Amino acid sequence: MFWSVTVSLLEGFGKTLELFLLTLLFALPLGLVFSFGSMSRFRPLKWLVRALIWVIRGTPLMLQLIVIYYGPGLIGSQVAALGSQNPFLQWLGTWSVMDRFVAALIAFVINYACYFSEIYRGGIESISKGQYEAGQVLGMTKTQVFFRVVLLQVVKRIVPPMSNEIITLVKDTSLARIIAVYEVIWAGQAFIKSDGLLWPLFYTGAFYLVFVGLLSLLFGRIEKKLDYFRG
Amino acid sequence: MKLKKGIALLLALVVLVCTLAACGGKKDTENSDLDTENSNLDTENSDLAYIKDKGTLVIGITDYAPMNYKEKGSTEWTGFDTEYARLVAEKLGVKAEFIVIEWDNKYTELDSKAIDCAWNGMTITEESKLNASVTNPYVKNAQVVVMAKDKLDAYPTAESMKDLQFAVENGSAGAKAAEEAGFTKVTKVADQSATLMEVSSGAADACIIDITMANAMTGEGTSYANYGYKLELTSEEYGIACRKGSDLTEEINKITAELMQDGTMDKLAEKYQLTLIK
Repeated sequence: MFWSVTVSLLEGFGKTLELFLLTLLFALPLGLVFSFGSMSRFRPLKWLVRALIWVIRGTPLMLQLIVIYYGPGLIGSQVAALGSQNPFLQWLGTWSVMDRFVAALIAFVINYACYFSEIYRGGIESISKGQYEAGQVLGMTKTQVFFRVVLLQVVKRIVPPMSNEIITLVKDTSLARIIAVYEVIWAGQAFIKSDGLLWPLFYTGAFYLVFVGLLSLLFGRIEKKLDYFRG
Repeated sequence: MKLKKGIALLLALVVLVCTLAACGGKKDTENSDLDTENSNLDTENSDLAYIKDKGTLVIGITDYAPMNYKEKGSTEWTGFDTEYARLVAEKLGVKAEFIVIEWDNKYTELDSKAIDCAWNGMTITEESKLNASVTNPYVKNAQVVVMAKDKLDAYPTAESMKDLQFAVENGSAGAKAAEEAGFTKVTKVADQSATLMEVSSGAADACIIDITMANAMTGEGTSYANYGYKLELTSEEYGIACRKGSDLTEEINKITAELMQDGTMDKLAEKYQLTLIK
């Protein structure tokens, strides 16, 4: 029994990992895009991005998952029922639900990109203006200063808050069960209903612990590597 | 300066596209080969035609013995509702596809066409009739009070239980039964299995769940070997939820009537020890 539970939980944890890794893959660069947007001197863009960040950080991720998965299908069937001849409404009427995993991934990427972008912004804005000025005196363009002087210092400064956020992401993936993405908690709970067994649910904690432990070691190592680079 | 504005605009576009992509889904390709306008209108009006057209009946379930469950070591769904649904799908000429859903979301799943029916020992209530199109009842169920076996004799009636702490599934028939019985100390949790956890952890004295669930989850060989039930609070009826206004409901009623008549349902009910409603 222990063995078959482990196998089934591993399967669920595979889904958890897949969601975690893909979210990181897309959210890390998208967060940088958002942070540039929120620091832009082009006002409309700045406010647009800040409004997006406000909405995403201001609403629960669970709600965002529900909206992104069920939203298109609900709009589609409601509009199709109107039977309008308007081409735009007809197009809206063709909307339907997407794959559950894809919906979860979109929700997580947008949500985490917003949080990451604020960490990036904090890091970038913490670099003193003097460094830009010094770079300019040496004849470097602003882009050159950013990539050759500023960026590495930013990376070093944001490692602790980023590791915090990334560890939170590992555990937040469990929210995906609300739209029936079968991750590890779901796999654990399945045993309560099918076999009347409680312990598999608690056993899932071990999977998170081990994985977060590995991540913590990794982040510790990264911090050490960047240590020579004293700010 | 010009270049910077260009970059800024590009970024704005990226943000917009991301947001739109999030809303839009990606099903445009599927509809590129729309039939003629007329048949399109037909499918819009008829849910049955829509289901026959795509060739699958997507059924929302939860893992719930004896309705839908998997035998140990098997990956195939079995159970009363599973076999019943397969028979109906066969008569409709489509494939039955089972998908485990978060049961609280069943009406949203139906409305957004993520599933075509919720078919998992669903108790017919005013609420279900309001949010979905529900078939005729097919099986009888009861709500029972589950507690530690050694306490059962001390609480023979609902009256004697008034001071106990209860756990029920939020929004379930059990929650309603607790209300009707006048129980005041009631904790509402996410699902029926969680009510049992409340009881076994000592957070509640008793829980109110389906008799089918109680049979499957308590007693020998489960985590709840020392729990049982004696008192039935209310009896109720199971039905199948289809999309609101769907013509699938009538079709299932028709097919079920046939299956009742030729004795197929009797055999199924006997196999899974359920009581049919004819």
